[in-house]
Amino acid sequence: MTTICVGVSHKQAPIAVRERLAVPADKLPEKLQQLKSLPGVREAMVISTCNRLEIFATTASREIAEDIVESLDPAAGPLAACRFDDDALHHLFRVAASLDSMVVGEAQILGQVKEAAAAAQAAGTLGSELQKAVARASTAAKRVRTETEIARGAVSISSVAAELAKKLLGELAGRSVLLLGAGEMAQLAARELRSQGTRELLVANRNSQRAEELAREVDGVPVSLGELPSLLERADVVICSTGADHHIVTRELMAKAIKARRYRPLFLVDISLPRNVEPAVNEIDSVYLYDLDDLERVAAQNRELRAAQVSKAEEIVLDELRTFLAKANERRSVPVLGLLRQQAEAIARAEAEKTLTALAGLDERQQKSVRAMASAIVNKLLHAPTAKLRAEAGQGPLAEAAMQLFALAEAASAEPERPDTAQVIPMAVGR
Amino acid sequence: METLLVHLALVAYASGTAAFLTWLVQPDDRWPRIGRWLLLAGAVVHFASFAAMQSGTVWKAGQLFSLLAACTVTGYIWLDRKGGIPIAGVFVAPLTLAVMAPAHIVGSAQHEVAPRLWHSGALVFHVAVAALGTAALALAFGVSALYLASEKQAKSKRPGRIFARLTSLDSIDRTAWRLAVWGFVFLSATIATGSVVSSSATGSAFPFAPKQAFAVLAWALFAAMIQARLVAGWRGRRIALLVVIGFVLLAGVYAGLLSASPSLVALGAWI
Repeated sequence: MTTICVGVSHKQAPIAVRERLAVPADKLPEKLQQLKSLPGVREAMVISTCNRLEIFATTASREIAEDIVESLDPAAGPLAACRFDDDALHHLFRVAASLDSMVVGEAQILGQVKEAAAAAQAAGTLGSELQKAVARASTAAKRVRTETEIARGAVSISSVAAELAKKLLGELAGRSVLLLGAGEMAQLAARELRSQGTRELLVANRNSQRAEELAREVDGVPVSLGELPSLLERADVVICSTGADHHIVTRELMAKAIKARRYRPLFLVDISLPRNVEPAVNEIDSVYLYDLDDLERVAAQNRELRAAQVSKAEEIVLDELRTFLAKANERRSVPVLGLLRQQAEAIARAEAEKTLTALAGLDERQQKSVRAMASAIVNKLLHAPTAKLRAEAGQGPLAEAAMQLFALAEAASAEPERPDTAQVIPMAVGR
Repeated sequence: METLLVHLALVAYASGTAAFLTWLVQPDDRWPRIGRWLLLAGAVVHFASFAAMQSGTVWKAGQLFSLLAACTVTGYIWLDRKGGIPIAGVFVAPLTLAVMAPAHIVGSAQHEVAPRLWHSGALVFHVAVAALGTAALALAFGVSALYLASEKQAKSKRPGRIFARLTSLDSIDRTAWRLAVWGFVFLSATIATGSVVSSSATGSAFPFAPKQAFAVLAWALFAAMIQARLVAGWRGRRIALLVVIGFVLLAGVYAGLLSASPSLVALGAWI
């Protein structure tokens, strides 16, 4: 059995190609069935996000990867990356842990991986191998999130502003946001804050018509810039991005406003150039002013922090992958071992009973001793072969040799009551 | 038995402190969880040590510190469960250790309660409210210190580790405020019952001593803080500073307790 990953991500393909490859949720079952119907495909799972299309499959051989690539859009063919076995699993673990994401450490990808597994499960294309791999990849991703700081701190200007607002003011539900001006970045930040459940978004502009238009676009309320002193008393977050060439919010104005609002904290974000908020405003108690450079510095700091955590996160992923592979290998060696032990124990039991019949007249304790001796011989004889077979984990010649030497296949076919024995032929799992 | 339990509690508090301090340098969320469990285990064993005391045992001055430590840790665990501020453990755990250390040192000293107060209900109440009030104010102090550190980082526009691990500044401010108000209420009750106890022991309701002076100063400062918040709307850094100063003054009360003069010892060191 081979594990295959055929993927096209933001690293290989531009958005124009990725958007052609994306599989919408309603088309996913169909795509999964199409993959499963390819000859030799046993399991299939598709992760389709805006940044990647990854197809994971367990197949009879590596060659099937070509069929999977051919099943994609022709534009993807030259760009698709094919990974096999350990590499494929390593990639799955890295994707789930957000180490392969465009923004390393982003939180959505783990949920998307889980959704992909759920969709494959619903479509009947997810088997035990991929299921176990996804479960372990989730464990690795969770460890990465809790044991490193890779997911901490926003990395874009607008999300830094929203994160700082939450850090300063707490839950934003029920808070009021004032948008001064109509700069694009300010709008982004305002939308980000609005999505956090703020109570109201007040939009002020020198041009009242523009204020009304913008208010409609961002689901806000148009207000007059002339009311600024009272607006500063009302708002909890002010995003400033006007085209004015002077300070609109001065220290004096802010000092009055903060007193009137009884020192309720106020977060000012000045994204305008030249700046519209007097820098000295930050000296006032309970007022926090961040300009474009400040936000960019925080974003850069967070990016550095994340980058510094990548190697630690990679170690965690590798650690989890090693554990997973060791367990998988152990699982693969179990069928041969089971058969070998079963056959040996059956022989020992039969010989012990024969001996006990010949030595008629032994009491209960003596009979028990004879049976125990037979069992002990089996255990001692099988100890070394068991260890060797476990270490080889179905990937070397020993499993096949054991099958041949002890005629285990015949023994298995002679015992139809044990259905597991149908799977005992060691599967060629190699890279 | 009782001493063994106190030692076990001390070990748990010390380990909890180590876990919280490790968390500051190693960003693994398991550390605060470990620290919290260790503090909880310490508090349970600690309270068990009080339960194991034989009835009629005369409490020594150091045991008030010990009770104070147990109350502080319990308060922190409750607070963390309610408000989710594990970072406060970074302050509370070492503070608990700092309170427990004198408990051990003074525990063996001869600062015993005057015999005439052995069965005084007012004394029991006085000790209980003193422990609760000081625990609340100790927590308020820890949370306020946290606020000041975090607020400084926010103002300097270089958010650091404390800021990153913290809940919002606004909720820390509200938590410190509530704790300080409760601390003030208990402190008021402590001073009132203290004067009753002192009166029955010495005939003087308010003997002049550094300890009493510090207590009154702390009380006055907390009263002013409440006034400033309710009337002028002060909050944030100003309130946090007042809480810190108030707690430092309150610490003077306990310093006075430790350096009690022979006459005060005869009176009973915690009046």
